[in-house]
Amino acid sequence: MPKLRAIAASFRHQYLHFLADPQWLIPNVILPFMITMVVLIMFQGQQGNFALYAVLGGGMMGMWGNTLYASGWSIQFDRWNGTLEEVLATPSGLIWIIAGRSIWNALVGIFNGLFILVIAIVFFNADLSMYDPVLFLLAFLATLLSLSALGLLFSSAFVLTRQAGVLTNGLEYPIYVGTGCMFPIALLPWWTNVLSYSLGPTWGIESIRYAAIGGYEGFATGYWGSMAIMAIISLTYVAIAIYLFRVVEMKARVNASFVRY
Amino acid sequence: MVSDDIVIEVKDLVRIYKTGEGLLRRKKKETLAVDNISFQVNKGELFGMLGPNGAGKTTTIKMMTTLLLPTSGTVSVMGYDVAKDPYEVRKHIGLVLGGEKGLYYRITARQNLRYFADLYGVPLSERDKRVDELLKRVDLMDRADERVEDYSRGMKQRLHLAKGLINDPEVIFMDEPTIGLDPQAARDARKMIKELVDGGKTLLLTTHYMYEADELCDRIAVVNKGKVVALDTPRGLKSLMKDMSIIEVEGFGIADKEIEVIRSLPGVRTVSATLGEEKQVLRVQVADAAEMLNPVTHVLEGRKIIGVRVKEPTLEDAYLWLVEGNA
Repeated sequence: MPKLRAIAASFRHQYLHFLADPQWLIPNVILPFMITMVVLIMFQGQQGNFALYAVLGGGMMGMWGNTLYASGWSIQFDRWNGTLEEVLATPSGLIWIIAGRSIWNALVGIFNGLFILVIAIVFFNADLSMYDPVLFLLAFLATLLSLSALGLLFSSAFVLTRQAGVLTNGLEYPIYVGTGCMFPIALLPWWTNVLSYSLGPTWGIESIRYAAIGGYEGFATGYWGSMAIMAIISLTYVAIAIYLFRVVEMKARVNASFVRY
Repeated sequence: MVSDDIVIEVKDLVRIYKTGEGLLRRKKKETLAVDNISFQVNKGELFGMLGPNGAGKTTTIKMMTTLLLPTSGTVSVMGYDVAKDPYEVRKHIGLVLGGEKGLYYRITARQNLRYFADLYGVPLSERDKRVDELLKRVDLMDRADERVEDYSRGMKQRLHLAKGLINDPEVIFMDEPTIGLDPQAARDARKMIKELVDGGKTLLLTTHYMYEADELCDRIAVVNKGKVVALDTPRGLKSLMKDMSIIEVEGFGIADKEIEVIRSLPGVRTVSATLGEEKQVLRVQVADAAEMLNPVTHVLEGRKIIGVRVKEPTLEDAYLWLVEGNA
């Protein structure tokens, strides 16, 4: 229970900071929004579910951008602010604190999807009817948690080094492409598919498409198979993250990197 | 076996910081911050650490509070080893690092305290009541729902104090808890510290204010260049100066050169100078005040001297004597 309490408190804490300083919206919501708009314009009038692809893709990009950017940078912010030591001095465990923040950050990305949804319907007259709204919601929430788990994994690097911002910048676009946010990964060279299949959100997006698009023919795993694979991969992320956080926290206590900015 | 009365035990503690410069031919630099120190703090004791900047006080506190690992040696708090059982140690301690940093500025004081209460696992049924009590205790209740970024330095420091007590800890570490406080607020903080110890808490604090250490501490460790150069009660430390007297000179226009001449006089142990824009105060430690009064005032001939007094040594005099390498 203390772990859940730390996750819930940090989720709320991140939400309070978001309200106090909504400038997060600019890099994390506006950019994916613009990219999605470009896709909608490019494929306007095409047959098929391009609008839905664009809306789902934009939503995913927003969620990932937010998770990666804010989870990582929230540690750096704490370091600058002198609060990293203060939260580390609590018995909660840094990983659960970052987990709560990651979930909030992924959730914020949903705003992006909602904006795009409204624009797609109002300006592009897009057909966004869901094949199965309940399964869609379930897949959507599971993908949100999977993205949070991936963000958690990467954020351990921020505990160790103040240079981890480079990692954030470098990982933003590969995940957009690798998970098939904007177009099916079948379009990518075969060797990149290995990376794509190792990403939980790839399977989450597949589940979302199965639930949203009637007659969708994606991976042979289908809706539930994709959900199961996503769950296994995501839990693996969490297990690796727990281990990494333990290691990097110990290393940071050795080299005093909690306070170096 | 550690006695039940011993709450903190520091044994042969060493901390070396390793840093590197350059990319290809990386030069490694080692800085010895804490050099083989040992001491114990008893239950209900108010233990002080005094020392100049860079002496190793904050590094020692950070090792005791699990934020840094010792390079060698051990620290146990409430019987738990800080290296092996950091989470157990954290459950029992409170930490006041103080200063301008260490608070979330964009949210309110109440939200800061609630967040830390959650992270410390304060029972939900008690959380809001405890937050209110602490806000009242540090006199921030009226502005509890304002963002911390709008607070003065003193208010932030008071919020630091409240945060350090949010989990009702058995052992409290305070690093310069009254820094930045106005005299009234500093007096209130000292009163609060006394009340905490009277209530059975164990408290370890660092401070630069000698009167604060003298007034509050049961025992004081004087730390210099990473070593404990003296450990005693305030009275015991002052007794190091029992054969000494202080010639205090107040005047204007006293130059550094003259201070150096006084320092080199036979029979002078140390000289401290408070040099302001207006009045200057020299405190000259001497073995025999009657004998040294004339030589000291002779050096200052031609300067405007407004007062010369012979005084009993204070804790500050003992401290200066110790950190100037006389222990």
